[in-house]
Amino acid sequence: MSLFWFVIRQLEEIEAMATSKKVITREEWEKKLNDVKIRKEDMNKLVMNFLVTEGYVDAAEKFRMESGTEPDIDLATITDRMAVKKAVQCGNVEDAIEKVNDLNPEILDTNPQLFFHLQQQRLIELIRNGKVEEALEFAQEELAPRGEENQSFLEELERTVALLAFEDVTNCPVGELLDISQRLKTASEVNAAILTSQSHEKDPKLPSLLKMLIWAQNQLDEKAAYPRINDLATATLEDPSV
Amino acid sequence: MVNNHKDLIGSYFLDAWRLSSKASADVEMEEEEEAPMELDTLNSSGGFSVVLSDKLTVQYPSVNLHGHDVGVVQANRPAPLKRLVYYFEIFVKNAGAKGQIAIGFTCEGFNKRRQPGWEANTYGYHGDDGLLYRGQGKGEAFGPTFTAGDTVGGGINYASQEFFFTKNGAVVGTVCKDVKGPLFPTIAVHSQNEEVSVNFGKEPFVFDLKAFEAQERAKQQIMIEKLSLPQNVSYGIVRSYLLHYGYEDTLKLFDMASRGTVPSMLAQENGFNEQDDTYALNQRKTFRQLIRSGKIDDAFGKLCDWYPQIVQVDSLKYYIMDGTSVTCFLLHCQKFIELVRDGKLEEAVAHGRNEFEIFFKLAEYDDLIKDCAALLAYEQPQKSSVGYLLEDTQREIVADNVNAMILSTNPNIKDSQDCLHSYLERLLKQLTVCYLQRRSLNGDQGEAFHLHAVLNSSKKG
Repeated sequence: MSLFWFVIRQLEEIEAMATSKKVITREEWEKKLNDVKIRKEDMNKLVMNFLVTEGYVDAAEKFRMESGTEPDIDLATITDRMAVKKAVQCGNVEDAIEKVNDLNPEILDTNPQLFFHLQQQRLIELIRNGKVEEALEFAQEELAPRGEENQSFLEELERTVALLAFEDVTNCPVGELLDISQRLKTASEVNAAILTSQSHEKDPKLPSLLKMLIWAQNQLDEKAAYPRINDLATATLEDPSV
Repeated sequence: MVNNHKDLIGSYFLDAWRLSSKASADVEMEEEEEAPMELDTLNSSGGFSVVLSDKLTVQYPSVNLHGHDVGVVQANRPAPLKRLVYYFEIFVKNAGAKGQIAIGFTCEGFNKRRQPGWEANTYGYHGDDGLLYRGQGKGEAFGPTFTAGDTVGGGINYASQEFFFTKNGAVVGTVCKDVKGPLFPTIAVHSQNEEVSVNFGKEPFVFDLKAFEAQERAKQQIMIEKLSLPQNVSYGIVRSYLLHYGYEDTLKLFDMASRGTVPSMLAQENGFNEQDDTYALNQRKTFRQLIRSGKIDDAFGKLCDWYPQIVQVDSLKYYIMDGTSVTCFLLHCQKFIELVRDGKLEEAVAHGRNEFEIFFKLAEYDDLIKDCAALLAYEQPQKSSVGYLLEDTQREIVADNVNAMILSTNPNIKDSQDCLHSYLERLLKQLTVCYLQRRSLNGDQGEAFHLHAVLNSSKKG
């Protein structure tokens, strides 16, 4: 068989595959959408779960009043959790550690990695504030012993101490440790640990559901052409591309 | 605003009422598919095996002579499809002379004198050699042998499109399921005195099916969690939800708390339709507050002042079910419910006689009025079958209806869908339909998506 005919065959096959996809019109699809009943109270729960998990405590409290939705966690604990998170975000790591221990001493006891990351953050803050001597002392006394227990801790410690070796830390290879994103990373790690200790999921459900939607649409793309929602932010239904 | 749009709003909220009148599990969970319950005693093979009267035990009483006198029994129904995993177990009571026992799945027209796995479109895990047979006389290495005292299970994993088998609670192996159409759980006995009993789930399984399912779901979830979302999209969807339903005070606190943490770019991006989103926000909040605190007269009065077009109907129009009459209907019902709640039964009766009569002429309202009226029959109505009317959700439905009707007076709104559904609801509907559609294009195999189930799943992530 010549190459020409081979290519033609291939093209035909591709075309056949394309046409064998089921096409679902907008009208059919909208009818299916209408048949789906989503309960208001379930949506309220989803929103409450978001407010609670992300720490919007005042909004959660108000939402409870405005919608009658009960939060799935004691709202008072959110305030404490947010105080810890905020302390880390502002660089008051010592304060944060104390607050976590007030909340539940088991959190740090059972979570050596988190404790190490908090101590590491403390070291970073000392270096940021130019307290070189204090930083060295802290690294040697508090962090190095932990590094002996765990190789990855040791590497992290060395990486952090390396900050001291550079005059212009903002342009050094480990400069990212001084970035605000490092604080946010540590803060969200503490946040997650506290939530887990309160037997609450560490992530809100809404983002997972949105990811499920993206996944489900991708999966369905293989079998059918149908009206998609491409822009989650506006939930606009697009016409099926045929 | 075309009237037709208002009608859609009306029927939407009547549906919402009916939905909330049923227990949540009934509505969300689809009809349970019929699963195998017992062994098929009508079509089991021609006398080589005997199914006992419990219809769950098989014996092979005679001496086997050749390959065509196998005692095969299928379940009375094929394995159900609309789930993540189907599973059943057998217990070998007696391995008989040769222990030629098999467990597997077979297609409908399977020749019941042959072992499962020997014929096309059949699969069998055999006890005497531990081999897996799929459609050929020759088996392939699979797992350990099994004999008297062993519990062996067979399952279909619809997510991975695999069969799997277990022995005494542990998975032995999996094999690709390359067959379509109904598959029957099947057991076979083929030597004298063999006896096997089957458990289709009436008794607890030896294998921890729940854990297996959780593990399979987690696998899928890990894949899904790897996908990335546009920045702050969840935040935006929550915000639009609060705007849509007029939870104004929550919104204010939400905005205040997120100032500084969420880039202001988001507000700019959505700036172009911001004006429509905040349409009558404060009034919508007021109505929700009034209705939620049971002050229906006040709500009605304010509606007459601010939005007469929503509640003023000439009496003739009551005969037509349109958006306006539905709003009036819901408010009158709620007033009645509030009176019952306060124990003012005589007043409730008077109110009902005044206001309900006109609605009785329409079949659309009939069942709902009956539910309201039934409240009068109970000394403790909150504990009765119509007790749901006294719950918060009923007030919320009335408040949501008023909210949607006010939104529909916005001259900039083109589609009734915009008054009815928040972005969140549209996304959840899309998600549900995608799952359903994908399943129906996949031979009806697999799970559907149920928001309710997701919300009530285990709390620890």
